[in-house]
Amino acid sequence: MAASRGRRLLWHGRCWFSQTESAVPPQPPDSLYPPIVASATAKSKAAKRRRLEHFRQRVHAAASIEEKLRLYGQLQRPKYMVYPQTFALNADRWYRSFTKTVFVPGLPPRAASAAAKAPGTVVPEAAKTPEGAAGVAPEAAKAPEPGTEAPGAAKTPEPAAGTAPYLDVGELRSLACDALLQESFYQNKKRPFLYRDQDHTPGPFLTQLVSTLAALLSGRNPLLAASSLDLKPEVNYYWHHGEEIVVHGHRKGRVDPVRFQIDDNPHLQIRVPKQLPEIVPLESDLGDVPIIEHKPSKLPLFKKQYENKVFIGSKVADPCCYGHTQFHLIPDKLKRERFVRAHLEDQIEVLYRANGIASLFAWTAAQAMYQGFWNEADVTRPFVSQAVVTDGKYFAFFCYQLNTLALTAETIQNNPRKNICWGTDSKPLYDVVEDGSVKGFNDEVLLQLVRFLLNRPKEV
Amino acid sequence: YPLFQLGGPQLRIFRPNFFMLAVRPGVPQPEDTVQFRVSMEMTKVDIKNYLEKIYNVPVAAVRTRIQHGANNKRNHRNQREKKPDYKVAYVQLGQGQTFQFPNLFPEKEQDTETRSFEDFKNKYMEREKQRQKGDPRRDGVPDWFGL
Repeated sequence: MAASRGRRLLWHGRCWFSQTESAVPPQPPDSLYPPIVASATAKSKAAKRRRLEHFRQRVHAAASIEEKLRLYGQLQRPKYMVYPQTFALNADRWYRSFTKTVFVPGLPPRAASAAAKAPGTVVPEAAKTPEGAAGVAPEAAKAPEPGTEAPGAAKTPEPAAGTAPYLDVGELRSLACDALLQESFYQNKKRPFLYRDQDHTPGPFLTQLVSTLAALLSGRNPLLAASSLDLKPEVNYYWHHGEEIVVHGHRKGRVDPVRFQIDDNPHLQIRVPKQLPEIVPLESDLGDVPIIEHKPSKLPLFKKQYENKVFIGSKVADPCCYGHTQFHLIPDKLKRERFVRAHLEDQIEVLYRANGIASLFAWTAAQAMYQGFWNEADVTRPFVSQAVVTDGKYFAFFCYQLNTLALTAETIQNNPRKNICWGTDSKPLYDVVEDGSVKGFNDEVLLQLVRFLLNRPKEV
Repeated sequence: YPLFQLGGPQLRIFRPNFFMLAVRPGVPQPEDTVQFRVSMEMTKVDIKNYLEKIYNVPVAAVRTRIQHGANNKRNHRNQREKKPDYKVAYVQLGQGQTFQFPNLFPEKEQDTETRSFEDFKNKYMEREKQRQKGDPRRDGVPDWFGL
């Protein structure tokens, strides 16, 4: 049975002839005979091509986004389940090849120029406007101008806020320390149950920290004021990449696309009504995508057949349909101590990178599908999102730009675009908490988090 | 052996039937993966310790599965013949090491003497065959009868 069930429904139905035909050879308008095309139901390659073309036309002509997503994921077949948080060795290299992503270590230069800005604005903690203006102007002259919204972001709060244009590092630090101490020291909690350490302390701390920081910074970032904060949302994405020959079963010997599904549950997610600005142009090439000839099952990756879901955390009608920042918590099974005990220290960073790449790819691609793009209709503007992956103490920051959705075997051939992921190594936020105080607090990590939350498009 | 108490010296000796046989993978494996046939009683932890302690091979991860031996073939008495089950272990090496199963039966280089002898043999056989064939004008029919 060469035809898929989803496409075959139409051939048996009454409305077969009313569908638009495709690839019709040009006929003179006064021809008495119907156009000569290949059969649609025969067991032949031409018939298969015609059915595929018909399916693509149906998806292109779908009335609404929900209908389009429904048709896109209608046919269910065994697919690889890709887990963003995985113990597999060198998973980030495999995930980069599945999603055609280039990994660039370090954060993009726009965030770095905001870094040059923020210490200049942050250091004078007392709100002195003339000093601040003098401090800001040379910084603005130094930092590279093109496309940077950081000088705009620093300047616009000044006239707008007026009273407190500077970020008070002391205030932020005390906020973070308060949240940390409340969860780990002041609150009387029983001992965590076996393997529930992460839900006991770092989970609530992260929720508290992010919600209070977002509330504090919404005054200077109007996008945050209009945002939606999700607790333990679900993010799903389904896509095809590459081809393989079916090994056993009644479909043995046929060429099938390799199907993947990501089902991710970030700890927290911020969705906004406006798209974050692009970091680099759509067609930029910042590195190479690894090509792995082996089957994905060698990673190890396993196949299952279930619903092909595409979801960003809210349904299509929600106004906050673009992503801003995700926060991921590393589970107990993948803690640092376990890696160190198994002498696999280099895999710790691999875990963070794989989590960042897979989660952000799924989120940005689902956002693009919510806007009507899919692998036959590639994105016309890049989709940008950010993520923070943490295990309570160590924080790693990631930034993703989705340039292309066309990853199937046919559409990838003439597609020079690559998706890009910027990411840092994991750095500790503090050294240790003892006797009601936080020792060795690292301001850099907190400032990077604040910069992430303050990120917004230029016109806002 | 004297009775063992917690904390005391381990004087007992266990001799389990642990063996590992490196095999050529049937399907292509990644460069850091080695395929072994191991004893059915070995676990992933046992395999890791075996390789690390006895052979000093750094092991990053081990995955195992049990291969069922087929029971379809029948002998001359129509009895089913079972092929034995065995456990397969896929070991991923640590510290970035790679392994490629060697080619145990490479093609042998033919030296000049044997080549010329084979040519000679082939030419001789051709000549003999030609002699055995009959007259092409009579379509190979023998000429000991007729005119």
